[in-house]
Amino acid sequence: MEHRDLALRVINVYKSFGDHLVLNGVSLEAYRGEVVAIVGPNGAGKTTLLRIIAGLENPDRGSIVLHGKALLVFQENLLLPWKRIRDNIALGLLYAGLPREEINRRINEASQLLGITRYLDKYPWQVSGGTARKAAIARILVLDPDILLLDEPLAGLDIETRRALLERIKMIAHERNKTIIVVDHSIEAVAEHADRMYILSHPPARIEAHIDLRETSPEKRLPLIYKALSSLKL
Amino acid sequence: MLFAAREGPGTILYNTGLTLLRSTLGFLIGFAAAIILGLVYTLNPVLREAVRALNTVLQSISVLIWIVVLVMVFGVLSPLPPVLVAALVSLPIVLAAVVAGLDTSSRKLAELATMLGASRLQYYRDFLLPSLAPSLAGATRSALGAALRISVVAEAFGSSGGIGYMIANYYNLAEPRGVFAWGVILVTVMILLDKLLLEPLEKRAARWSIET
Repeated sequence: MEHRDLALRVINVYKSFGDHLVLNGVSLEAYRGEVVAIVGPNGAGKTTLLRIIAGLENPDRGSIVLHGKALLVFQENLLLPWKRIRDNIALGLLYAGLPREEINRRINEASQLLGITRYLDKYPWQVSGGTARKAAIARILVLDPDILLLDEPLAGLDIETRRALLERIKMIAHERNKTIIVVDHSIEAVAEHADRMYILSHPPARIEAHIDLRETSPEKRLPLIYKALSSLKL
Repeated sequence: MLFAAREGPGTILYNTGLTLLRSTLGFLIGFAAAIILGLVYTLNPVLREAVRALNTVLQSISVLIWIVVLVMVFGVLSPLPPVLVAALVSLPIVLAAVVAGLDTSSRKLAELATMLGASRLQYYRDFLLPSLAPSLAGATRSALGAALRISVVAEAFGSSGGIGYMIANYYNLAEPRGVFAWGVILVTVMILLDKLLLEPLEKRAARWSIET
């Protein structure tokens, strides 16, 4: 039997806001070194699920088991426009009291991984949306989380930038043994790069399908997913 | 020109500088008080309501009342009334902008600061206060203009110098040309201040709006 290290287990999570049930018994798992895509329609509770995993919201029922530190990259970049990209990325490291050499080493490593080294001395308003998104990811990545939660990281990016970003994300997961959870509303956008995919139903959200894509070649992934979905009569 | 020759550039510069100094000092006092009250506003819901109520009271008090009371308290020749009335006029304008900025400041910004491990002080210093810059720059433009206009009125009521004092002086001498000339100086100073300093400041601060 294949051995994989469990990084995250979401067990039967329910969440309501007032009378509005958002998550209706969601369960899923994620392992170290893989990219897990959570896909669902707008308003399906994807962001709420990530916020619960990151500890920013409490579930009404159910539980989250984390093996390591989980940090969320918000859908909005939230880069501080009064600080250069380098200083934005350094923030969490400074608060942790790391020495300057270590801060610089981590910033250089993360910026090389994400391909933003030449933008480090620019301000956020001087760079493209794709670079700003990568900088927002780098700001969290330098804190060395075991589980990186990305809330719609592809929103507002063109197709080429999306592809490049997803390739970087996949590389980080596989080479650094990180668990990366990406939520998006588009199956097509993430199918090529995800190792596994959970598909949420229309709200209140449940897991409608769980598809393992690791052994499937990129060109066969979408047909496989659509076949799984049609069998569910979504 | 006749006016300038009669008053002399020294008198014009001295009184204009005095008015600018008083109004700027008053504005800075009001600005600092508004920032402190803004921080108090974030502490808990009771203090939040107290700050809101205080601002409503400050906004509803006529400037004339402030001027009369301050002149009565500090005396006709005191330099304090123009400074303090500028502070009291600036305070509610800046505080309203601070409160509006805090009300609309992203909850996610606070969550991000927490996730990055920022202390409360670091959150205020690195996130919250700079994020208020765009609304503060707009408020500075309004408040400094108001402080200048109102401190001139306070100078006219009781002071030993400044544009307002000179206007009142010419009024008492029944010399409308002197009143008009000092009025032109005041308007010129206000336009220069706005176009050369405050408008560029507001445009620059607009870059600091956080994408949310």
